[in-house]
Amino acid sequence: MPFPESLRSLGPSRSRPNRLPLTYIGLLCLLCASLAGPRAVAAQETPYFVAYSHHLEEPGNLEIELNSIYGVQHAGNDFIAPWVEFEYGAKAWWTTEFYLDWQGTFNDSALFTGFRWENRFRPLRHEHWINPVLYVEYENTTAADKTMIEVVGFDSQADHAVPNSIAQMEHLHELETKLILSSDYQGWNISEDFIAEKNLGHDPWEFGYAVGASRPLRLAVTPESCNFCRENFLLGAEVYGGLGTSWNFTQIGTSHYAAPVVAWQLPSGVTFRASPGFGLNSNSHPFILRWSVSYEIDRFAHRVRSLFR
Amino acid sequence: MIRRSLCGLLLLALTFVAIGSASERERETDDRGVLLAIAQAPLKTRSWHNPYQGQPDAVLAGKKLFLQHCAECHGPQARGIGRAVNLHLSAVQNATPGELAWFLRNGNLWRGMPAWSGLPEQRRWQLVAYLKSFRR
Repeated sequence: MPFPESLRSLGPSRSRPNRLPLTYIGLLCLLCASLAGPRAVAAQETPYFVAYSHHLEEPGNLEIELNSIYGVQHAGNDFIAPWVEFEYGAKAWWTTEFYLDWQGTFNDSALFTGFRWENRFRPLRHEHWINPVLYVEYENTTAADKTMIEVVGFDSQADHAVPNSIAQMEHLHELETKLILSSDYQGWNISEDFIAEKNLGHDPWEFGYAVGASRPLRLAVTPESCNFCRENFLLGAEVYGGLGTSWNFTQIGTSHYAAPVVAWQLPSGVTFRASPGFGLNSNSHPFILRWSVSYEIDRFAHRVRSLFR
Repeated sequence: MIRRSLCGLLLLALTFVAIGSASERERETDDRGVLLAIAQAPLKTRSWHNPYQGQPDAVLAGKKLFLQHCAECHGPQARGIGRAVNLHLSAVQNATPGELAWFLRNGNLWRGMPAWSGLPEQRRWQLVAYLKSFRR
């Protein structure tokens, strides 16, 4: 349902996204990149945007990732929501990640919508058919956040039709947990995530899921270094959506998406990813498009320490 | 107050001793002279055959993978940096290709070696082909 014009007028008068925070982030990324040497590092990437596999960041490495989502909005304005990820391999069994979220809504405004701090732990020493990972995240965002990094509970495209001026007044302090189950078989990665999210102020637990499968286009590599070769491309798909709440565990009234995913890993250490997503019911955005670029800095902590010697 | 400080110091000293003994254990070998971390691979892995054995292209491909994934810790010449082991050592080279492939897949998470199960099996065998080429 479209919001009355009187409510829309409550929003800031800016009609173009505020670029200042992104400028700061760009400078920060440049600073981090300047710490990086010429050595290219290729991580064990999966191409997913929502699902997680059991492959963690290599210890001591920092990956900087710039992501964005474009969403087509029913009865409202389309939006672009960028977010920045700093993913650090604290240990071989523990990866920690910090997120900064923004969004810009066409004909409305642009704003910073909060931060997240996530941690992933591998509890088992060795590989198994199914490899569990425990995930804990704290989110400090507002209801204006449109990054859709996960879909839980009764999340719906209608939530994103609320004008920014109103949505940003609702602050969310949430604890998100996931049980990630992931397997590798004959070059395929298959990952299933079960999500449970709790607003720390009130509300019941909200549940969601994400399932992904992906595979490199070529399993063995060629001796030559190359950019446009099949071994550098990963293809896959992911499906994700909400599963209601602890009061009403259901698929009715929830939103669901299916999205093919593709990743292109360059020998220079840069990875590009893209994923067009399609809403599977009327509660979902009809179309979303995600894209990202990431760069991995090897032995980041060592490089920072060496600056102060 | 003094008792608490002494307890704290004792705890700190025990931590250092534990870390020290752990890093010593990292270099222990079995009766074949293979690092224990690698030798913990199941016995059946010793008979695994590298499908790329004797293929020079696989060695070159393995070198490419090594520089992308392993050189940051083990060094571009695989001579080891810090805790990362020198891969030319007999304690590594005495391991069978199957044991090395198993170890690459599983890693040694509590000791800092990541699991490389995200690499397809074919790429891990190419890496093993490169590692085994050091022996020549």
